Amino acid sequence: MNPIRKKRIYSILFVLLFSVSGISLILYSLNSNLDYFFTPTELKKQNIPSDKRIKLGGMVLKGSVEREASEISFVVTDYENSLRVIYDGIVPDLFKEESGVVVLGFYRDDMIYAEEVLAKHDENYMPPNLDIKNDS
Amino acid sequence: MIVEVSHFLSLLATGLFFLVGSFALLTKPSAYISNLITRTYSHGFLFLIASFSIYVWLAITDNFSVQYIASHSNSQLPTFYKISSIWSAHEGSMFLWIVFLSLWGFIFNITIKNEQILKSNTIGIISLILVGFLLFLLITSNPFQTILPIAPLNGADINPVLQDPALAIHPPTLYLGYVGFVIPFACALSFLINGDPGIKWESLIQKWSVAAWIFLTIGITLGSWWAYYELGWGGYWFWDPVENVALMPWLAATAFIHSLSVSIKSSNLRIWTILLSISVFSLSLFGAFIVRSGIIDSVHSFANDPERGLYLLAFIGIIIVSSMSLFVAKLSIIKPSKTIKRFSKESFISINNIFFGALIFSVMLGVTYPLIYEFLFDQKISVGAPFYNAIFIPMVILACIFMFFSIDSKWSRSLNFHFFIAPISLSVISSIITTLLISYIFDTSNLAILISLFAGFIVVYRYVIEIMNSFFMKKYLNPFSAIAHFALGLLIISISFNSLLSSERALNIKINEFEEYKDLKIFFKDIKVLKNSNHDSIEATFVLENQKGRTFDLSPEKRRYFTRGQITTETAIFIMPLKDIYMTIGDQLDDGSWIVNIQINYLIRWIWFSAGLMAFAGMVLMFSKRNI
Repeated sequence: MNPIRKKRIYSILFVLLFSVSGISLILYSLNSNLDYFFTPTELKKQNIPSDKRIKLGGMVLKGSVEREASEISFVVTDYENSLRVIYDGIVPDLFKEESGVVVLGFYRDDMIYAEEVLAKHDENYMPPNLDIKNDS
Repeated sequence: MIVEVSHFLSLLATGLFFLVGSFALLTKPSAYISNLITRTYSHGFLFLIASFSIYVWLAITDNFSVQYIASHSNSQLPTFYKISSIWSAHEGSMFLWIVFLSLWGFIFNITIKNEQILKSNTIGIISLILVGFLLFLLITSNPFQTILPIAPLNGADINPVLQDPALAIHPPTLYLGYVGFVIPFACALSFLINGDPGIKWESLIQKWSVAAWIFLTIGITLGSWWAYYELGWGGYWFWDPVENVALMPWLAATAFIHSLSVSIKSSNLRIWTILLSISVFSLSLFGAFIVRSGIIDSVHSFANDPERGLYLLAFIGIIIVSSMSLFVAKLSIIKPSKTIKRFSKESFISINNIFFGALIFSVMLGVTYPLIYEFLFDQKISVGAPFYNAIFIPMVILACIFMFFSIDSKWSRSLNFHFFIAPISLSVISSIITTLLISYIFDTSNLAILISLFAGFIVVYRYVIEIMNSFFMKKYLNPFSAIAHFALGLLIISISFNSLLSSERALNIKINEFEEYKDLKIFFKDIKVLKNSNHDSIEATFVLENQKGRTFDLSPEKRRYFTRGQITTETAIFIMPLKDIYMTIGDQLDDGSWIVNIQINYLIRWIWFSAGLMAFAGMVLMFSKRNI
């Protein structure tokens, strides 16, 4: 093999190796940082480790909101199953009973310890997966 | 009906742009043809701008027989917001987008005097893109639709969250940035069509690209600032899909400007520069698609309409496929130039481009992966801040270290690494000392933050030395590059400090009672209900006192607007040079106490200042005589 060609093959191999390892690093960190979105029914079926951050979507059950000091707790339901959520902080302006909510947090002892509570900036917002069930 | 005149003028402009496009690309170039193209394009632009001006006038004069104006404006609004209501929703935004697109083309059209052939084709390509967007506007999202027979009296109301000066300016600035990259894109294509490698299209469009980049930078910064004080979440960046689709063109544009300077200086990376110019514009269009189609759930999503999404996707597909095939077909016109010397400025900029490419790839993955995943596995997922932090922090740190060494590099000459020359060792040593001091003072061992701080400081110190050298030793310093990179260092330092020191807490507090948070004493003085013309509000007043005995009032509000029953939070912010005290008020509890959220945000203004400084660096380049 002539030296120029040899050099070229080496540089191509180097670039390939470099980009493959770069892309696999990116994909690896993507995979370990995904937030899975569940409804209460789906969540109860799965076996979620308690250190995995998840997203829970559903409706806030009527009459379930309880407050104690700055802590708020409420029940998120998909009208089949329900889960209690505990959150320390201010809930968003559009948070209210019988309205859609998305909770980001950890699933432990059949409860959600929330890091973030989101309500959409749209009064007609429904969490995905629920709009179909509500119509029927 | 005046609106019909406006509608007709837009149709007329579409026709003229179509003529320009077909003439430019189908006929043999001649002085006569290029003169014709220039004139026809200018007429098309004048018709379009007339159409838009009439539309603005209709909005100012509350002509609610126009459906779009009726549902997005209100007779009670001040004139400023009547105008900005035009871009508060989909149809008007698209209209403005198109007007800006044609405006860039028009300025290019009248300022470029030589390079006739390149110019004709460029104008032709811009015109065809305009035709595509105008058809999209007129067919799927017509802003000229009227309500017959009876127009509503007062109109609707624009979303109160959007009635804000920063937000009225944010979309136009961003659009100006997005569509500004049509100039390098169209020029690159016209260069490829032309097939003459001797044409220096790169130096022709350098300032155009920087101008668009300035608008994009300012637009993104304004959006971040607005979200901070208006939405009441605090924070400056949420890795929301819509923020990400604005970040991707910015990253690509920044990479493009770097690679462009290599192509101008030493004719290297020319193929790569063309590819980047196509990428920047495609990413801008991709952003438009993501936002307009409503395919991704986000706080920014506008009305969803599958027809619009489909049309845009098809149109973007055509643009990308045709430009890429042209690129592949004409690739060979650019002769491979001499190889890049190791550790020359060119090689450092190539490394920079690899970093930018990887960052764009990661953001793209984060935006599209949920869509792909749901399609494949029927499971909804989302990609949040942890992923982006895991990617951005190490990459930006590495990029900064490369950049630090690149400061001493020269064009077409290999850099000799002298680790012990004064500027390098001085800045490294002082950065290490500063970082250790910070770690000691703030009692932290958070490695990610400390290393980021170190990376920020080496850049800042290195440039401080460089700037002093240029003042006292008259050593030449490229002002554009120096300010922009100094601003990057400052940005990294501000972001690191912000995430290291900022804190927040929800307190519940009764009226006339004290609470304490960090070094602040908070006294709940008063709460009252206010009635305003278009909203009720609850306004609380707190008196805060810090350790130095300085007192100030903060009055967060909660508003309920009549027209939509929408509830909004008005934050109260006390601004100090190094930190913000940020308060929002929540609900009242059964025992009569109120929940308030208090945040102390460090150096958050410095983040926007650094971004603004980058934009300023761009302006320095715009007004400098010399090419970089």
